[in-house]
Amino acid sequence: MTGEVPPRPAGHTPARLPHSPVTQPPAIPLHSPQSLHPLTMLTVSLMAVVAGASLPITPWVLAVFVGLLVPLAAWGRRLGAFLRACAKFIWPFALSLVIIQGFFTPGSNVLFRLGPFSYTLEGLQVALLFSSRLLVGLGAATLLMMIIRPDALMRALVERGLPNQIAYIIITALQIVPTFQARGRAILDAQRARGLETEGALPVRLRAFAPLVGPLILSSLMQIEERAIALEARAFSRPGKRTSFVALRDSRLQSLLRWAMMLGAVALIVARILLWSRR
Amino acid sequence: MIALKGVTYRYPGTQRDALHAIDLTVGEGELVGVVGANGAGKSTLCYVLSGYAPHFFNGTVEGSVQVAGHDVTRTPIGELASDVGLVFHNPFNQISGARYTVLEEVAFGLENMGLPRDEMHERSEAALAATGLMDLAQRSPFALSGGEQQRLAIAAIMAMQPRVLVCDEPTSQLDPAGTRAAFEVLRGLARQGGTTIVLTEHKLGWLAAFVDRLLVLHEGALVADGPPRQVLAMAMDHAWGVGATMYARAAQELLARGFIPPQSLLPATLEQVVESLR
Repeated sequence: MTGEVPPRPAGHTPARLPHSPVTQPPAIPLHSPQSLHPLTMLTVSLMAVVAGASLPITPWVLAVFVGLLVPLAAWGRRLGAFLRACAKFIWPFALSLVIIQGFFTPGSNVLFRLGPFSYTLEGLQVALLFSSRLLVGLGAATLLMMIIRPDALMRALVERGLPNQIAYIIITALQIVPTFQARGRAILDAQRARGLETEGALPVRLRAFAPLVGPLILSSLMQIEERAIALEARAFSRPGKRTSFVALRDSRLQSLLRWAMMLGAVALIVARILLWSRR
Repeated sequence: MIALKGVTYRYPGTQRDALHAIDLTVGEGELVGVVGANGAGKSTLCYVLSGYAPHFFNGTVEGSVQVAGHDVTRTPIGELASDVGLVFHNPFNQISGARYTVLEEVAFGLENMGLPRDEMHERSEAALAATGLMDLAQRSPFALSGGEQQRLAIAAIMAMQPRVLVCDEPTSQLDPAGTRAAFEVLRGLARQGGTTIVLTEHKLGWLAAFVDRLLVLHEGALVADGPPRQVLAMAMDHAWGVGATMYARAAQELLARGFIPPQSLLPATLEQVVESLR
């Protein structure tokens, strides 16, 4: 710290800091999906989810993943991380679906038998369709979180009328999970230092559960009270208009794009109801 | 700027007054320290001055609490916040959790106050410069050390430029250099900015050197109020649980051994000890 003090009336203009990508969007627009308005990326993601849920056959659904989400991830230079995350999330679901749907979906094309159970082609097709839909849904959500900072998205939604309190809850939930995990680890270490066994067979781990969870919950409850005080100290409940420190850049092109995607999503839902409802 | 008359406060569900019959007046630009043993009512006094008692903690307040022109017991905290700032001792829990960089965290309160963007930048950056956090402006608030988070908490409230600043052990996680810097910032706010500051601390040496007035709370009552040297000398003769500065103890020893002449008030700071030796 220095002894310098900001004057009550803002009488001087200090040198500006280099701004984060969110506070200062790049001069060349649309050079990456990160420079898109958060609502545009949100609309793209929602459009992908709607398309994945509406399209009737697996290749079309996979085309959404390969033709929309993968290029976006590559454009944002997050392709490797995106594909790894998708693979990590999807395989347990896909495996379960392939096993369960294959054996329990009735059909005339039996691929093989296992005791009294028949594995059908129809079941495999259903499993692949559901898995590809899950892949698109999870992929869209993952990509959104990789590309757009949650606080920027919430700022955009607050500007469109989302209550500030709801936006706060969502952002803090996303931010505080890692710190919650860190506190859990600290409590675990503290209990180990007191001689508590936390590793080994299941009964040993279960016994260690209560001494870990109790302090974690209590400290979190105490934290809630102090954080509420801190929020009040920052005028969180002050009545009147709020402003945003960050300028979110939007454009007419992006606005049109969002409207087009929303109309497209509605069209897909209508088509799903009228044309593809039997599939 | 602060006028408390006959203020008694009791937390809900308790039988004892946390504060009892407090009369206190603090003028504009004054830097006032508050000391007392644990449980003496220091934090409660902070909460009463900033409106959290009774608005947040409930409980009953008797008497009159006027701060920065507000009748605190009748003004919602949200309205008070831009005029009465509160910094407390746990820095981690003062991070809003709603912003991803230190700079944006400082600006969070200013957003809630509805300030124009340019003014938010000016105030936030000036507060970061004053607290030595400019180089960390783009870091996550959660990635800072305890001391840095404490400085961030001070910067965040400082940027709001409240007329009255209430600090409850704001240097509890700071090292000596950080503590000195924090006291210098607070003194600068009071002297140059005209901010009225009430500061609770256990670090008597720093209080003796920096504050204009020192108050002693004992079991919820205000038992001493005056210049730090006078109050600390009084505290050494009473069982208030306040203790003494190491310079006062040294002076006591020097006095006993005849190195300094008997004097009406025992020195409480290094400068005062040196002066006594001349």
